Amino acid sequence: MHRVALYAIALTLLIASLWWEPCTLSAKERTGPSGIPPEKVAAYIYDVIKADRTLYTTEIVNRLQAKGVANASEHWEQENALMLPAQFLQHSGKLAAESGSEIRYRLIGLWPIYRRNAPASDLERNALESLRKNPAVPVTGVVTSGRKQYFQAIYPDLAVSSVCIECHNGHLLSPKRDFKLNDVMGGIAITIPLE
Amino acid sequence: MIPPPPPSRSNRTWGLQPKLILAMLLVGIVPLIVGLGLAFWQGSREIQVVSGESFKALAEETARKVDLLMSDEIGRTSRIATDPSIILELEQRRDALLDMSDDARRRSVDTLKRGWEAKEPASVQAITGNKMAGIIQEYLAGTKNEADQLIPQVVRSATKMLYITDVEGNLVASSTNLPSFAHKETAWWKGASHRGVGQLYIENVHFDESVQSYVISISLPIMDRIRYGVVGVIHRVIDAKELISPSISPIRFGKTGHVMLIDHRGIVISCPILPTGVRLSDAQLVPLVTPLQPGWVSAPSDGHGGQSTSIIGFAPMPETSRATNSDLGKGSWHTFVWQASDELFAPIRHFLTWMAIFSLVAVGLMTSLGYLAANRIVTPVRRLQAAAQLVGRGELRQPIDIQTGDEIQDLADEFNRMNRQLEAAFAGLTDQVTFKTQQVESLLHSTDQILDAVPTPIIMVNQDEQVQYINRVGRDSFPVTDHSTQSIPLFEILPDDAALREHLRREFRRARNGDHVETASGAEDAAVVKTARDPLAPETGTGEPSNRQEIQIGSRRYHYQWFHMVGRNQGEDRVGLVFRDTTDDSLLQDQIIQAEKSGSLGTLTAGIGHELNNPLFGILGLGEAIEEEADLDRVRSYARDIVQHGRRMAAIIRDFTGVTARETSDQRQPVHLERELDQAITTVVAGIDATGLAIQKTYAGDSCVSALPDQIRQAFTNLVANAIQAMKGRGSLHLSTSLTDTSVVTRIGDSGPGIPKQYLSKIFDPFFTTKGQGEGSGLGLTVARRIIRKFGGDIRIESQEGSGTSCIVTLPVIPPFPRTEEASCTESHSTP
Repeated sequence: MHRVALYAIALTLLIASLWWEPCTLSAKERTGPSGIPPEKVAAYIYDVIKADRTLYTTEIVNRLQAKGVANASEHWEQENALMLPAQFLQHSGKLAAESGSEIRYRLIGLWPIYRRNAPASDLERNALESLRKNPAVPVTGVVTSGRKQYFQAIYPDLAVSSVCIECHNGHLLSPKRDFKLNDVMGGIAITIPLE
Repeated sequence: MIPPPPPSRSNRTWGLQPKLILAMLLVGIVPLIVGLGLAFWQGSREIQVVSGESFKALAEETARKVDLLMSDEIGRTSRIATDPSIILELEQRRDALLDMSDDARRRSVDTLKRGWEAKEPASVQAITGNKMAGIIQEYLAGTKNEADQLIPQVVRSATKMLYITDVEGNLVASSTNLPSFAHKETAWWKGASHRGVGQLYIENVHFDESVQSYVISISLPIMDRIRYGVVGVIHRVIDAKELISPSISPIRFGKTGHVMLIDHRGIVISCPILPTGVRLSDAQLVPLVTPLQPGWVSAPSDGHGGQSTSIIGFAPMPETSRATNSDLGKGSWHTFVWQASDELFAPIRHFLTWMAIFSLVAVGLMTSLGYLAANRIVTPVRRLQAAAQLVGRGELRQPIDIQTGDEIQDLADEFNRMNRQLEAAFAGLTDQVTFKTQQVESLLHSTDQILDAVPTPIIMVNQDEQVQYINRVGRDSFPVTDHSTQSIPLFEILPDDAALREHLRREFRRARNGDHVETASGAEDAAVVKTARDPLAPETGTGEPSNRQEIQIGSRRYHYQWFHMVGRNQGEDRVGLVFRDTTDDSLLQDQIIQAEKSGSLGTLTAGIGHELNNPLFGILGLGEAIEEEADLDRVRSYARDIVQHGRRMAAIIRDFTGVTARETSDQRQPVHLERELDQAITTVVAGIDATGLAIQKTYAGDSCVSALPDQIRQAFTNLVANAIQAMKGRGSLHLSTSLTDTSVVTRIGDSGPGIPKQYLSKIFDPFFTTKGQGEGSGLGLTVARRIIRKFGGDIRIESQEGSGTSCIVTLPVIPPFPRTEEASCTESHSTP
């Protein structure tokens, strides 16, 4: 009975190691010894996105709203307002993609106002769950689309400004309405092709 | 009750009553109209604002509703697009296409395309019957959905086509066989694929040939598993009206109020009235109602074919518009809320109509009440007016009785008081008039008495030469038979001499015109009388009788005078004629003259003797001198002097006999005064012993006067002789002449004893003398003064007892110009 169990465990470990090994290896192999690891690239990109978004949130939206110069609104085009920080990130990601770059980044959440911003894959879903519990550690992984492989890193997205929680807690389509400041509202998913 | 209307209405255009009624109407109507107008205007505005705001709110609400509807549709479509089976299928297809060579791919696609277009069952089956098509059908049928995600029947039937293309834009799955095969070049495919990034694309309403209907479409990219890139596009074609109409058609208010959906071009997507796909009737309306903010506008037309001003509310659909044509800037959908103006403004119009009706009633009431009120005011005023007219004619006997208790009653009381005072005043006036009349009558009576007492006739004549009054003397003097002097022509009582009558008539006319009739003939009369009184002056001819204001009536002679009397109170002017009986005056004067003439004859003779004595003594002296004189030349000289003395004597005699009286002033000639003075001295001195006599002469020069030289010389001789006699031949004789502008003054002064004061006033009297018997006739100064006065001059004596006498002769001088006159003056005497 014990031998059977040991065999089974050994076999499982073997299978798991056999399955896991080529994945990790292949990722490392593809970057090459002189290349930059995708984790680092994603971290760089995240830093830039985060800096931009923080700057926009604090220095533009919060400041202009505090001074009464302009408001931020979802329908900013119609209402001659500033776009929301979340929209800023989404639109910049879209703009980057439209420019032909292969980098993709977008905001995802477990309780999205619009369905299109729900997690698209298991990795994303699991990552969001993980980030809820432990925001400090980003989740990374390699995903495939057909035969194509992509590196994906999901960083936590906190409610950095009152604008964020006001919108999410007040929106008609919002499924969750009890966000507080600095809650993990979702994540920023950065996708880099491994080609 | 109401007194008869006053008779005089000549200057009146409007009576008091119409004016009062008009004033009341104006006071009522003008504020009414202004108030109604303002109320209507304000009401219309408020209805506009309230309706506009309501329409805007409704438009916004409907926009949100349709937006949610569209969001739901997008969500449903999105669920198909995120179906893992479909994604997997499309990923595999993408990878399969990548593996194929270009040629193989093209061949495979072409084959499938041809088969599809030819509706070959195999090809149709390959697309409508594959796994993905099955999933689509399941979604459409609702079997694939959760309970709360069931597609409503409305939406299901509205969806005309639902199909999926691969990454190349070629059809891979479809619910029907209607779609075409290749879509890579269509706007929706490009928009949804969005260069592999993927984006929602909502197509504007358009007519689709395949489904023969106006449709909209929702195109969603199908992303790969990790949402990295597009692997296909799902395209859903929906009948616009079928989808949207259930949401907006039930929204109706009033008879015409409704909501419709248009796109940014003004094309109707859904409307309960207009068919889908048509454009708004007024293109100018489109920019007004398609801004990106909700609002309302008062537009010049309604977009439904009407041209009346309309209130239109509008709102964009925020979410749908963002995806329309993939970009908010490229298109947007708007709700449009409208109600016909007629219906919208009907309440305020009804209000206005009712107000107008009530206003008319009010105006009628105002007119009737105004008439009553004006009548109450005007009636006493008219009575007052009638009473005032009676007062004016002095016929008001009864006091005015007006009991209105207001100012008019006060006025009536005042009228009564005034009338009483007037009556009292008139009564006093009558007494005064009687009194004054009596006064005037007594005045007239006394005037008559005075006039009758006047001893000269007085006649008053009117403008027509009719005698109006003649006093008692006049009645006695003139042939007036009838005592009534009325209408007796003036010239009936005056002499019947045609020439005289004409003369009198002329004078009468002048007097009638107010001219003064005191003519030159009157002055001439005075001169004639004066001349007649001087027995020494030659008699001048009597004037023409017609020029004298004297008239002979019967045996009496009258002096008469006209006077003009101004008529009073527009009365006729009258002319008066006063007569003075001069018959006795003339007679008396003639008698006086006669007496004077005869009485003075003796003294006249003595005077002549005196006058002739001086030259005679000269002649005697010269004669004696000639007897003793041996020198012939001197004898001749004496003889010449004798002749001259003789001539002078002849002249004196001529004077006295009045020969010169016939000489007129025309025969005067310029006389050199100093020369005549010298000759006079020579004449006087020649007759006396002049050894003790000192003669001093101070002459101004050639003084020329107009006179008769003999008479001037006679006057001077008399004066010089007087002076020398006064000095008894011893003393100094001062002779001087001085010229002024108009006269020459000759002064003859002696150093004699002077004239006592008591004689000074008598020295010019004829025959008055202080000399001894035979020394003087008393005529020297008289004659001298007569001569000097005849030539317009005068003599004055200045004397102080004990210090001599001065005789001052003033004569008018002939002015030095013209020189010819002076020359003749000099000439005539240089050759005597």
